Amino acid sequence: MLYWLFHDPSRDLYVYTPGMDNPDSLDTRAAGETIVIGEHFEAYGQYQSSLKAGWPQFRGNDRNNILLTSSPVNLNWKTKEPQVIWSAETGEGHAAPAVFEGRVYLLDYDESLRADMLRCFRLDNGEELWRRWYNVPVKRNHGMSRTIPALNGKYVVSMGPRCHVMCTDRLNGDFYWGLDLEKQYGTEIPLWYTGQCPLLDDSIAVFAPGGTVLMTGIDCASGQSVWETPNPDQWKMSHSSIIPASFLGKKMYIYAAIGGICGVSAEGEDRGKLLWKLGDWSPSVIAPAPLPLNDNSLFVTGGYGAGGAIIRISRNGDDFSAALQAAWLPHEGLASEQQTPLLYRGYVYGILPKDAGANRNQLMRYQQGNLQEADWQSGKTLRFGLGPYMILNDHLLVLNDEGTLYLFSLSGKEPEELHHVKLFEGQDAWGPLAFADNYLLLRDSKKIYCIDLKP
Amino acid sequence: MSDQHSNKLKSGNTGNKKIGRREFFKTGLRAAALISLGSATGYLLSKSTLDDPVWQIDPEKCVQCGRCATHCVLPVSAVKCMHVYKMCGYCDLCGGYFRPQVKKLDTGAENQLCPTKALKRTFVEPPYYRYDIDEELCNGCGKCVEGCGSFGNGSLQLQINHNICTNCNKCAIARVCPAGAIIRIPASKGYLLKK
Repeated sequence: MLYWLFHDPSRDLYVYTPGMDNPDSLDTRAAGETIVIGEHFEAYGQYQSSLKAGWPQFRGNDRNNILLTSSPVNLNWKTKEPQVIWSAETGEGHAAPAVFEGRVYLLDYDESLRADMLRCFRLDNGEELWRRWYNVPVKRNHGMSRTIPALNGKYVVSMGPRCHVMCTDRLNGDFYWGLDLEKQYGTEIPLWYTGQCPLLDDSIAVFAPGGTVLMTGIDCASGQSVWETPNPDQWKMSHSSIIPASFLGKKMYIYAAIGGICGVSAEGEDRGKLLWKLGDWSPSVIAPAPLPLNDNSLFVTGGYGAGGAIIRISRNGDDFSAALQAAWLPHEGLASEQQTPLLYRGYVYGILPKDAGANRNQLMRYQQGNLQEADWQSGKTLRFGLGPYMILNDHLLVLNDEGTLYLFSLSGKEPEELHHVKLFEGQDAWGPLAFADNYLLLRDSKKIYCIDLKP
Repeated sequence: MSDQHSNKLKSGNTGNKKIGRREFFKTGLRAAALISLGSATGYLLSKSTLDDPVWQIDPEKCVQCGRCATHCVLPVSAVKCMHVYKMCGYCDLCGGYFRPQVKKLDTGAENQLCPTKALKRTFVEPPYYRYDIDEELCNGCGKCVEGCGSFGNGSLQLQINHNICTNCNKCAIARVCPAGAIIRIPASKGYLLKK
């Protein structure tokens, strides 16, 4: 009786509540930290290039990862296997280069200087022409750098891991302006740092900071914001990038934030106005960018079990709305953890994530109208990782995590693997590919590489 | 003093019987034989213990089906999650700790994946968290291993703890493992962790 009265059977039970991991001082900004964006510069050489092509931003000229060129390209690798013609050491990360008229631009993180560093190389031989940097402490967290600069004829706009934006002259690296999104807009730096690649639309640099504004357009000439989209729902920055696209006769910027998907007017007097938003599909981590499918629908996907979804956009006069048409788990249809799938001639190509069941890590092809039933897949013996892929002249290039590049022909009824070549002993080769003037740029976690695809 | 008396005194002083040469060699040989036999037996015993087969999980084959938790003959499975720290990314968002699509990255019970709360999370410094396993609570269900492998580096791995395992002749888990991941290995190998 005494035992019954005094014994507490629940004495060994704990209530699990937030805060039991002692998450103190989570602020990544060190006390008294001063970051002077664009502070340092070094030039190494002069260069006049005759090359004219470019890959000026994330996913290329049309932000679709497709390049169709009339100039001849070596895609007959059985006869002439591509070789690495130059490479350059980088800080650990996944930031990929952009190319403009014979110059390569990479927003690197220099681990010894602890600095975001915009580096400019010659495309043809890898000679470094200049670098501009600023000190900012960043800790290794599955790599550090993750973004691709955006370029036009005059400007390079880059964003570092902790959301420091820098605008410089494309040719000589002169500094124009800098912007700290965390300080300016209260941006919450995403897990593993930002992966958002800047978008340059004419001379307006477009960002989605989260925090006090959902999206903003910065005039490259002045460094001033020319429009801002309010963020009443306090959506946060994801790892995804903004995609410009036209739906139902209206050009808009599409962004998958942490909190929901939105469309913001990209033209006319209402540029910057929130046209529609949808919070019904909001994974906790999103890295791939939205993929426009047709005039009124787009595909969104995310990792960590999010799967995929199709969003349908409607228009009534000047009013737009969006609805979730379908959503599925990774083993039920097309999904991607890091890379953005691509749409080419009525088919959507993508590599499934590790949580996609039996089809994990396989390259899949779906008809544009049915993203839950693959009409072709690479099979159990040919799996890939988180590496990038792109379309080049009716061929699909796929890089696996360890530096093997695969070439598929897309001209037949089904994709056909033509060849593959081990280009480097890489690790985590996840940075997107870039192609210009017959040079293909690739990277792993420690280096960038260039291969020559001249016939 | 006579010689007799002197001899008595000598033997009285030592208190020992005089050992002849033959006896000395016999004793020495007996001792050497005993030592050799003991060493050989010890060696054979130790060799036999180290090379005896024990059950272990091949993490390359394991599909985290959950049967380790339910089919072990022990009341709580001898299969436990083990953490290879050098493979861990120390991420804030840990696929082994949090449920998929979790909205808040905190220690609230509703956010955790482990049904027995055997995986503990401790803040180290921004942006790192350390994850430790409370073996007393772990039942070997493998949910954290699946999450870690799907989204992370695969540093959480299921292994049979030999301090708990009774090493049944027919391992009840091996009989139902759909991936054939439960295999016999020499005791000297002990554990099969991915590195």
